[in-house]
Amino acid sequence: MATPSTDVLRGTLDLLILKTLALEPMHGWGISQRIEQFSRGVLEVNQGSLYPALQRLELKGAIDAEWRTSEHNRRARYYRLTAAGRRALGAETESWRRYVSAVSWILEGA
Amino acid sequence: MSTFFRGLRTRLRALVRRQAAAQELDEEIRLHLELEAEQNRRRGMPPDEARRQAAIAFGGVDLAKESHRDALGIRWIEDSIADARFALRTLTRNPVLSGAAILTLALGIGANTAIFSVVNAVILRPLPFPHADRLVMLSEDNPEKGWHRETAAPANYVDWKERVHAFADVAAYEPGGGATLTGVGEPQRIRLRGVTGNYFTVLGVRPALGRVLAPEETWKSATPVAVISDRMWRDGFGADPAAVGRSVSINGALTEIVGVMPAGFTYAADTVDVWRAVGWESSSRSQVFFRRAHWLRVVARLKPGVTPEAADAEFQTVVRQLQAEYPVTNRVMGADLVPLHEFLVGDVRTPLLLLQVAVGLLLLIACANVGNILLVQAVGREREASLRLTLGANRARLVRQALTESLVLSALGGVAGFTLGWWGTRLFAALQPNGMLPVASVPMDLRVLAAMVVLTTATGLLFGIAPALWSARRTPAEVLREGDRGASGRARRWGDALVVGELALALVLTVGAGLLLQSVRRLEQVNPGVDARGVLAVGIGLPAGYDSASQQIAFFDALRDNVRALPGVTDAAVALVPPFGGVGYTSDFHIAGRPANDYGTEIGRDYVSPEYFAALRVPLLAGRRFTAADRMGAVPVVVINQALARKYFHGEDPVGQRITFDKIPDSTSVWRTIIGVVGDVRQQGLASESLIEAYEAFAQNGNSYMTLMARTGGDVPALASSVRRVVARLDPTLALAQVQPLERMEQRSIASQRFIMLLLVVFAGTGFLLAVVGVYAVMAQLGRRRTREMGIRLALGARMGEVQWLVVRHGLRLVIVGLAIGLAGALAATRAIRALLFEITPGDPVTFLSGCVLLAFTALVASWLPAARASRADPAGALRAE
Repeated sequence: MATPSTDVLRGTLDLLILKTLALEPMHGWGISQRIEQFSRGVLEVNQGSLYPALQRLELKGAIDAEWRTSEHNRRARYYRLTAAGRRALGAETESWRRYVSAVSWILEGA
Repeated sequence: MSTFFRGLRTRLRALVRRQAAAQELDEEIRLHLELEAEQNRRRGMPPDEARRQAAIAFGGVDLAKESHRDALGIRWIEDSIADARFALRTLTRNPVLSGAAILTLALGIGANTAIFSVVNAVILRPLPFPHADRLVMLSEDNPEKGWHRETAAPANYVDWKERVHAFADVAAYEPGGGATLTGVGEPQRIRLRGVTGNYFTVLGVRPALGRVLAPEETWKSATPVAVISDRMWRDGFGADPAAVGRSVSINGALTEIVGVMPAGFTYAADTVDVWRAVGWESSSRSQVFFRRAHWLRVVARLKPGVTPEAADAEFQTVVRQLQAEYPVTNRVMGADLVPLHEFLVGDVRTPLLLLQVAVGLLLLIACANVGNILLVQAVGREREASLRLTLGANRARLVRQALTESLVLSALGGVAGFTLGWWGTRLFAALQPNGMLPVASVPMDLRVLAAMVVLTTATGLLFGIAPALWSARRTPAEVLREGDRGASGRARRWGDALVVGELALALVLTVGAGLLLQSVRRLEQVNPGVDARGVLAVGIGLPAGYDSASQQIAFFDALRDNVRALPGVTDAAVALVPPFGGVGYTSDFHIAGRPANDYGTEIGRDYVSPEYFAALRVPLLAGRRFTAADRMGAVPVVVINQALARKYFHGEDPVGQRITFDKIPDSTSVWRTIIGVVGDVRQQGLASESLIEAYEAFAQNGNSYMTLMARTGGDVPALASSVRRVVARLDPTLALAQVQPLERMEQRSIASQRFIMLLLVVFAGTGFLLAVVGVYAVMAQLGRRRTREMGIRLALGARMGEVQWLVVRHGLRLVIVGLAIGLAGALAATRAIRALLFEITPGDPVTFLSGCVLLAFTALVASWLPAARASRADPAGALRAE
């Protein structure tokens, strides 16, 4: 089945989506744009995995979706953070920080 | 929780509105691509390039959709539907083979449905009364007389009811019973049941109209009261509500109808028309006959919270008190408490379970056959499977697809089988000998449905698991390296196991059916003691107005003479109880000159007219028969049967000795002289040994209910209408109770044994046939695979016989192993049906041997046929085939 490294990536994508949506409700493309902007172009979202991730988060109840009219007068599916999503964001941010510091200890200690 | 439900809702929506969900996703992706392309254009790309780059950045659109569906978690359902479709296509590709498989399964599942419906109705379903598990049957046991679970004496019943506090209430009824009803249309015979006043309240049933009987009506009141059945109400009273309150005459006694029972009310499978309150005289309680004569079935309802064990303990205490208080009648009178359901199901439980096991084995054989068909197909499709594996198909996915195929097959077989079983259940209920099943109907309820769904699924998994594993077991490299030859080794082992299993199961079935078949054949060969051919038996009950013995004797004498004078009638006689009609009543007896404590018990008694023995061809072994001179006022005489002469007169000549029907003779005893000895008659049916019996002259006793027997050289049913006319001429108010050929009564006494045997033979025959077909199929496979080898051998100069022997030898080995296992199984299984066998031991060597020989011979022919065909193939052609 899935290897540990993809799990980390998948977890990261979920975290980034949650973080992006914490600012404001947004549609799929917007999310991918936001992530690229925030990371100053370092991170590129593999867009093929963006929609499955959105779906997964929706099933988990972390985000909600509804059809709305976008700024350019197009019908778009907007995703919004739910209360559960907000809690998940907090928890995942925390665990991400622990993860990052653990990895840096190892790298710097070695 | 709400999160869970939201997720569920999304999943459900995705499944139900698959189309809509897919469209939404399309739209979302389209928008994404457009926005991306727009951005690219803004960065200065030409429109075409902008779109292309957008698509590249997104990655595969289809892959995204696919993962999206995976994330939705509905993929496996979609896959299953696709698998099922694929399976259906595969099945229709080979309609003959699929049809054979479905038919085989339908037979197995159908037989199981039918038998399980009956088992469910009889054994599993509770009795149709509220809190039926609180109802128990109380009966009397008397080790001295060999009684077990016999009818109880009314005085004992009353004491049980009053003294045992564990019983909320206790009711009693008279089993059997008929009467003549007048006052409603033509005089007619009805089925009458005498019941205590609390009968209906103890059972917990309510009337459809009027009221049920009242507890105080157990004892005699001014007018006898009765409750009628729904059928009686409709047929006799045209469903008139005013029937309640009307009075009718039952055996000449005016009786008021107080209520009508609902249509569904039935106790066991009885067909009672009228329940009449017994109306005992309260003065009877203190009389000896009330405790000496036994004619009641007793049903008690336990108080809430009292266990049957606790109730039985208290009950036994009371029984012992009664033994001490009434030594004359109750000295050794024990009693027995058993759940009512167990009592009513009684004898039919073992045969039904036997049939259930038999159809279970049948289904296993069917599974083996279908499994073999699928296995052959899986082996044939091996290249396809390995190709798919090479192309990256998921191994688990292949197994699942193969399993889906077998489940689809079993579902089709299950639907066909359930339909077949529905008919089978109706057929079973219709063909079962009257009264064999103690239930009024055999409904196919939810439990039957659920059991069959489970069974069908289990069946599909059972026969599908081997081919399914097979289809994904081998690595592509193996297949390519070994070709067909490697496959044949493992497939053959599977095939061999199936053959061995099938033969073993078939042998168990065949031997079981063989034993029952032999039992029934032996029953049929039992000498009944009479010649029933051409004899018509007609029961006639005389109403009030024929109260004296002389009136009764005069009527039946006249009837006998008139019937004797009918054209074609060669003999006519009357008897209290006809042959095969059971034992009328029994008593103790004492032989003159023996010590007072040397008395005999349980002697069967019958009243017959002088012509009886000659008319029924009962042989006279010593002394003389009754004559017209043996009548009221003459010396009281009896004729005894051979069993009595043997048991009590070892070698002495009984003729001329005297007996009385009292246990301890006193001055009031009537001594009767034995004038003759006749052959034994199987009074209780062919399966039961003759009781010791004494015949008295009807002309010295009289009785209001007698059975006329007339022998004709011609048509028995035609005689019935002539007899009706004779009776109507003698007294138009009389109704005939039972009109039936004596031969039918003889047959009926073994009808349920024959019915069970017939079913078992049908099931065993089907199982046998399926097993042989299975052996043939496996051997044909083997023959086909070895065609090439045979071709080479033949080309090298081997003889035809030698080559065929290769396959037959393999078959022989399987037959020996299969039969050895089957023998062990059959030896264990037949022990369990000992109770159903008649004059044959469960391990009867002849039956076992014939079963083995029959099965071995058929199986060997089945394995020789494909061998013969394979060996006749053109060697050159066979070699090129690969």
